[in-house]
This record gives sequence, C-alpha cells and structure tokens, in this order.
Amino acid sequence: MKYRSNIFTITFITVIHALHCERLHNQIYSSIDGSAACFRRLNGTHQMGCSSSDNGSVGVVHMIKEISDAQWLISNSSAGPYVAVVSTSLFNNIIDLLIAEPNHVAGVLLYDNSTTRPTAFSHESKCPNEYSAGPGSTCSSQDSNVWNSKGTGLLRRDIPFPIFFVPDSKVDEIDKIEKCYNRYNLDKNNQIGKPLCSLQLSSFMYAAVNTAVCLRRSASSAFLTPTKVCDPLGDYNVYYSLFPRSQENNGEKKTVTLVTARIDSASMFDGVAPGAASSVVGMVTLIVTASTLAQMIPLADAKLYDHNILWTLFNGESFDYIGSQRTAYDISRGQWPPLSPLSLSDIKLHLEIGQLGGSLPLYKENSSWPLYAFAPYGSVLPTEITEFLAEMSQAVSSKNMSLEPVITTNLPPSSLHSFRRIFKNITDNASLPELLLVDHRETFTNMYYESALDLYENIDFVYRNISIGTDGKFIPTTELLANGNMTESDPQVKISRIASALAQTLYQQVTGKPYVGSIDEMLYCLLRSQGCRLLSAADYMSNTDDATVGKPAPLYVGVATWSSTPAVYAGHLLALLTGTHLDINRTACDALNVPGFSNYYLRGWNHSGVCVQTTMNFSQAVSPAFIKTDYDFTSNEFSTWTESVWQGMWVRVFVTAGGGGARLACITGAVATVLAALITYWLQANANIIFPALSTVPLVGDAAPAPILRSVNC
Amino acid sequence: MTLAEFFSCSLLAFGPPVAMFAMTIARNPVRIIIMIAAAFFWLLSFLLSSLVWYIVVPLRSYLAFGMVFAVAFQECFRYFIYLLLRKTEAGLKEISDNHEISSHKLEMAYVSGLGFGIMSGAFALVNVLADSVGPGTLGLQSGTEFFFVTSAAMTLCMILLNTFWSVIFFNGMDEKNYKKILWVIGSHFLVSSLSLLNRNEYYFLTILPAYIVLLITALTAFKCAGGYIGVVVNTCFTKAQ
Repeated sequence: MKYRSNIFTITFITVIHALHCERLHNQIYSSIDGSAACFRRLNGTHQMGCSSSDNGSVGVVHMIKEISDAQWLISNSSAGPYVAVVSTSLFNNIIDLLIAEPNHVAGVLLYDNSTTRPTAFSHESKCPNEYSAGPGSTCSSQDSNVWNSKGTGLLRRDIPFPIFFVPDSKVDEIDKIEKCYNRYNLDKNNQIGKPLCSLQLSSFMYAAVNTAVCLRRSASSAFLTPTKVCDPLGDYNVYYSLFPRSQENNGEKKTVTLVTARIDSASMFDGVAPGAASSVVGMVTLIVTASTLAQMIPLADAKLYDHNILWTLFNGESFDYIGSQRTAYDISRGQWPPLSPLSLSDIKLHLEIGQLGGSLPLYKENSSWPLYAFAPYGSVLPTEITEFLAEMSQAVSSKNMSLEPVITTNLPPSSLHSFRRIFKNITDNASLPELLLVDHRETFTNMYYESALDLYENIDFVYRNISIGTDGKFIPTTELLANGNMTESDPQVKISRIASALAQTLYQQVTGKPYVGSIDEMLYCLLRSQGCRLLSAADYMSNTDDATVGKPAPLYVGVATWSSTPAVYAGHLLALLTGTHLDINRTACDALNVPGFSNYYLRGWNHSGVCVQTTMNFSQAVSPAFIKTDYDFTSNEFSTWTESVWQGMWVRVFVTAGGGGARLACITGAVATVLAALITYWLQANANIIFPALSTVPLVGDAAPAPILRSVNC
Repeated sequence: MTLAEFFSCSLLAFGPPVAMFAMTIARNPVRIIIMIAAAFFWLLSFLLSSLVWYIVVPLRSYLAFGMVFAVAFQECFRYFIYLLLRKTEAGLKEISDNHEISSHKLEMAYVSGLGFGIMSGAFALVNVLADSVGPGTLGLQSGTEFFFVTSAAMTLCMILLNTFWSVIFFNGMDEKNYKKILWVIGSHFLVSSLSLLNRNEYYFLTILPAYIVLLITALTAFKCAGGYIGVVVNTCFTKAQ
C-alpha cells in the first residue's frame, strides 16, 4: 500500500508530457553540455590533476551553498558517495576539505556565476614554475614572500576524484541540476532508500605515475596494437624579425634586440584557458608594437640600420617554460632560428613583456598604469639597460604612466628564467642584458592567474567595435579620443600607449603611434570571440570552416602531436599586421620564393584573399627533454610535462532508484513464478480430471498418413 | 540497485512463462518445435507491421496507428498458425516418438500461444531491460522508479494473455464459434489501447484493467479447454481429505 500511494501521489503531481516515441534513455538521462573536465598531467616525478573511474564516477548531488554543507558531506552524509556542486566563490574554501576526506566524494562539479565571482581564483602554485627558476630566484612556496600569493597550487596536485567546470554561459545546466536536487535530495538526513538526484562524471585518464612511466607504457604495445597513454606538451613558438635576417652576410651581422612574450595560459580544465591578464595583454602589446615599428620603417630601408629586432612569442611557458627552454637550448646548439642561427653575442638586449593587465582594474578611474621593469642585477646595471630604462620611462611618463625599475635577481616568472638557467655563465657576468616588463611588484596584481576566470572582465575590457572597416584601416587613437569613442582610462588606450612607448624606445628614430583600434579588435578576438574580423582576415584563405563565434580562444599549449590554434593566431596576426601585402593571386603567391621571407595566402580584410610576405615563422616548442636521447626525467633540467590521453569527457544527471521498484519487482516476480509453477504442476497432474471432456476424443482418427514417416526420427 | 532491478524485472516478466515452459514443453521436442515456430510467426507479423509503419511516413509519430496494424497482423498470424498446425497435426503425431502429443486438442494451441507470447514479451521488454541496468532510473523529467516494474508486469500480462488467446482462438475456430474469436481480437485491441496510457504515466490505469482482462480470458480459456470449475473445487476438496 505504501508503494501504491507513493506512485499515485507522484503520478498526479508530475506534469504530464505528451512525449511521442521518445527513447526511454533520453527520459532517464540528461547530459550537462558545455562542461570542461579537469584532466591529468604528469611531470618527471608526479601525476597531477583528476581522473574518474573507468565508467564514470556516480554520486548523489549535493549543492554546496555554505562551507557547512561540505562539512556535512564529509562527516554526516549517509547515502554517499556524493558529487558536490559548488560555485567558484566557495570552491577554494571547500576543496581542501573534500580532498582530505575523499571517501564520501565521487566528484565535484564547479560552476561559474558571473554575479558572485570570488575576489581571487588561481590554482597555480604560489611560485609558478618554481623548480625551473633561474639562479637568484628566492620565491619558495613555503615562504610568505611569493609571487602568486592567492595561488592554491591545486593545478599541481593529484586530486582523487574528477572535477568538471561549467562556465557562466551554461548556467541553465546548473538550474537543471538544482531543480532535480530540490525535488529529490532536500531531505538530506533521510536519503537512504529514496530515489535521489545523481550525477555521473566521466573523465577516465589512461596515464599514471609520471612521465617516464607513461612514455614507457606508450612505447610498449599490447597484442601488436600500439597504445598511447600520454603525449608531451608542446606546440609552436612564433618569431618575426623586423628585417629579414637570412639576407645578412656573416661579416655584417646586425645585432639584435630580442623582444619576447608568452602566448599560452593554463587552467585545470580542458579547453578553458582564457588568460586575459596572464598572457593576452602581454602578447597583444608585443604584436601591436611590432606592427607599429613595421609600419614606420619600410623594409627597403633595412640597409640603413645596423640593428634588428627579433620578436618572439613563446608557447608552453605555463609548464616550466617549454617554449623558451627549447629556444634557449636551440640557441646554445646554434640551431635557432633555423635560417641564420642567432648567437648569444648578437643579442644586445633581451626584453620580456611579462604579465600585464592584472592591475588595469585597479586604475580604471584614471589614465595611469604603473609598470615595473625588473632587472636581474646587483648594483651595477649594464649600459643597455640603463639607456633603455631612461628612454622608456621618459616615453611613458609623457602619457601619465610610470615605469619603475626594480633591481633584483628575484625575477617574477618569465622566459628570462630559462635563459638564465641555460646560459648561466653569460647571464651572471651581465653580458646578456635582460629586462622584464610587468605591472606588479612584490606579488601579482592578477588575482586570477592562469585560471578559468582570467576572462576579459579581469582586465576591465569593453569592446568598442569602432576599430576597422572592411578595408582594414584603423582609426587613429587621437581621433577616437577626440570624438569621445574612447577615454584615457580604457585599457585599450593604455596598452596602446605602452606599445607606443616601447616602439619609440626600441627605435628612437621611429615615432610611430599604434592604432588603438587594432588593440580593441585584437583583445576582442583573443578574449571574446574567435570569429572576429581580425582573425578571420588573418586566417588561411583555404580554411573554409568558420571559427567558433562567441568563445574566447583557449590558450592552453596543448600536446605536441596536435597543433593548437593560439600560436597560429598569433603568427598570422603578426604576418597580417607587419607583412607586405602583395597583389598577386594564390598560385603566384605559393610560387614566390624570396630568401628570408615566407608567403602566406590569407583571407584579407574583404575576404578576397591577400598574399602576405613576412619574416614571421614558427619554431617548435617541445621541451628538449623529449628530443634528447637518454634524458633523465628526474633530473629537473628541462620541462617534462605530458598530458594523459582520455577517451571522452561527459557529465549527465539522472535519478537513481531508491530500490523500491526493484524490491517490488523481486517480490511480485518470485510470487508470480512460484504461483505459475504450482498452478501448472497442479493442472498437469490433474489434467485428466480437470479436462475430461476432450481428452478421449481421438484427434486424428483414420486420416493419419502412412507410417512411412516413422523412420524420420526427430 | 540497478542490477537488482534488471534481474527482478526479468524474473517478474519471464519467470512464470519459463516455469510453464519448463514443466510442460521442455520435455517434448515436438512441442519445442511448435513453440519456436509460433515465435517465428510472431516475428513475421512484427516484420509486416513494422514495414507498414515504415511505409506510411506521415503517421509514424502516432503510436496508435502502428499499434492497430501490429494487433491486426498478430491476429492474422495466429490464424495462420492455426491453419498450419491443423494441417500438420497428423504428421507431427506420426513423427513423434511420444504419442501423448495431441492427446488434447488444445494442447497445440497452448504451446503455440506461449511461443507467440514469449517472443512478443521479449520484444516489448528488451529495450526497457537494457536501460534498467542503470545507473539511472526514471524521474528526471517524468515517471518514477516504478516504471520498470510496471513494464515487467505488463509484459507478463501480455505473455499470458497471448497464451490464453491462442487457446480461445483455436477453440473458437474449431467450433466455428465466432464470439470467442471476437473476444480475442477485441480484448487484444482493448489491452493494447490501454497501454497507450503508459505514456501519460497512468501505470495503474493500464495494469489493473489488463489483469482483469487476463483473469476473464484465463477463465474463458479454461472453459474452452473443457475445464470445469466444479471439478477443480472437487479435486481440491478430495485432496484436502
């Protein structure tokens, strides 16, 4: 009777849907679309990240609204295991509780709600890339004096359960879960034997232990079928020189200023690495400075200058400086760039545009933006550095911004660390002058360093959509400021001023002003929508499929076996904005072969195709650890990061049975079977009595066929 | 809980038919052949009705349309089995070592009906059983976790109904008593139409009438087979003494 009344109530409460021919499966399960899973990475000694069980971890939904909910989950819950559904604002407070007591935890579903974001959210360690730091670095995760003071280090921990992230744009999926939760799970002290709303998180990782083990497992084959369980991280670096370098003869080699920035960012979750302040602002500054210089100095004047600028964008820097380590290693072998390799003595100055943008929201009221130039020296600065600092601070102070030198060997995380490690002797005696430009001093101003929340809001970016027409002409900054389309406190304007000051400093002869419009558009491309005009103009003409509109480009470095988009985007932007646009058709463009240049046939502003001649090129960003034979993965010399292989990542929500249905079926099934057996037995046993009427009537009398068939014995 | 659900539902739907099969059919090879032949006939009827469903594109989304054709085809094939068995009965008896076969005229009807029913039950429940393995059950959008047990109960009902319908049908054909045949076809349509209500979660509105129909049909079949309630009571009484 209990069951029956239960059924009746639920039946009548439920809204009746007229579902025509819908598969049962679709009524039971509902997948949570747009979620991103935390996955497993490995280095020389450890495994980090998450993995679900083989078939996906199933757990009862528990919405965590307060910290006490998490405490209840680990200590008082009864119907476990549970999947904790938690917002980004509470995640950092409860995740340590759950990792410490994982017995009742099947997984975590993290969701972002743009109205209640935490003030800080960074899962990078307190000293990013601590173990690849160059000499003189004093940052240690145990100390209080750290760069990323808000970092939890979760990115570098082995988490015993899967974690999935649902971005703000998919908040209706969380509503779906909450609705189900409110219907079934609210009576939380009385959950045993009830139908409960549950989640299944599937993100099983094939790799385990560490890089050496997983590479060994990948190399072996089971039953002659090669299996791969992990891939080295890596992609491509992008480099571009103001003047073509291969045309130089050995006798008259031009000295070079190396200007570098990083492309990639990271987060715990697959496909989510927006990196607005972590990397995008620095990269955009570099590209804009490069394009400004390229516009002001015609290529034909190359012979007038005895100095060149080599712009380089490193990839994979989040994971122990993969890109810069490889470049420094290749320079030390005399193999970078492949055409006319660079020697250290050619480098007059190495300027790294580091992490910029984190402090932009702090100064959004006015036009100031204090920058800091870290110089890794004792008391005596190389002359190149002092000259540069003097010129640069003069250039920025005219725009109401400031540049303060910080003289310390304790450098913030940057590619300089790779050069300082690999060229230890040279950097120690200051024959390779180095400088790092950032917008923070003791600790990061970016509170979302390398996290899923390092979005465009973090740098206070508002897209103005005023920048370009179909011809690709940018409106000058002064005009935009004059007619009020932009204000001096806009991040776009500030970045353009930095780029302008930088360009001016790099080449005093040049007084170019970068177009703020290109910054507006480029930030929009990298932070808001990959389907923007600038990126589609910079895309290959042959590429017909349109990029994802309305989604920022994930800047995660990815694995070396697959080339990912960020390096391609950066390289093509450099090519489009700095290269010479030739008015020839595609076949002529492909046939063109000028030494020192490469040709790209890109879509162009009006999508009719344009041949771009550029010195831009790509070089591999795969850690030397994977190209050196017999490299000892525990030596900590180079980056050893690998990423696990996985089959699929999905989340679905459904109701798990309380067992009432199964019990009912079991009891009735047993009763019915026994009853049927008894009745059948009884009827059979007494057939002669019960069915007397017809039993004696011969069914087939004389009409039987001849008994010839008897020989056929069936 | 989910594997338990799978096995419990299988037990409920197929336990009684399997018990009946084991006690009455399994020992006799000819009966097994007839049962399998009947199951094959049900498959043929299902093939034809699915062809019709497939051809008539505009009515595909209406379950009722497909159902009408499925019931009609099943009854047609029940008639074909009847014809076939009546034609081959003598031969079957001849090739059988065991001359007990066909000692009762409606024995073949029972055997073929069970084959018919088990095959229809398998088709009705196999998709549902596949989803009952879990980990989820109904309830997210609509329905409750009792969906599986009601489906299994309904399947059992249909298997038994098919068995009894065959008995009544064969008897009706033998006696040219078209009322009985009308009852078979009519109740088949009735029960199938009731199952359309499942979609709207009126599980009990389906199951209770279906089992009432089953009870009436079972009693009718019992009578058709020449059974007499008085004898039953009498037997019980005698046994008790």
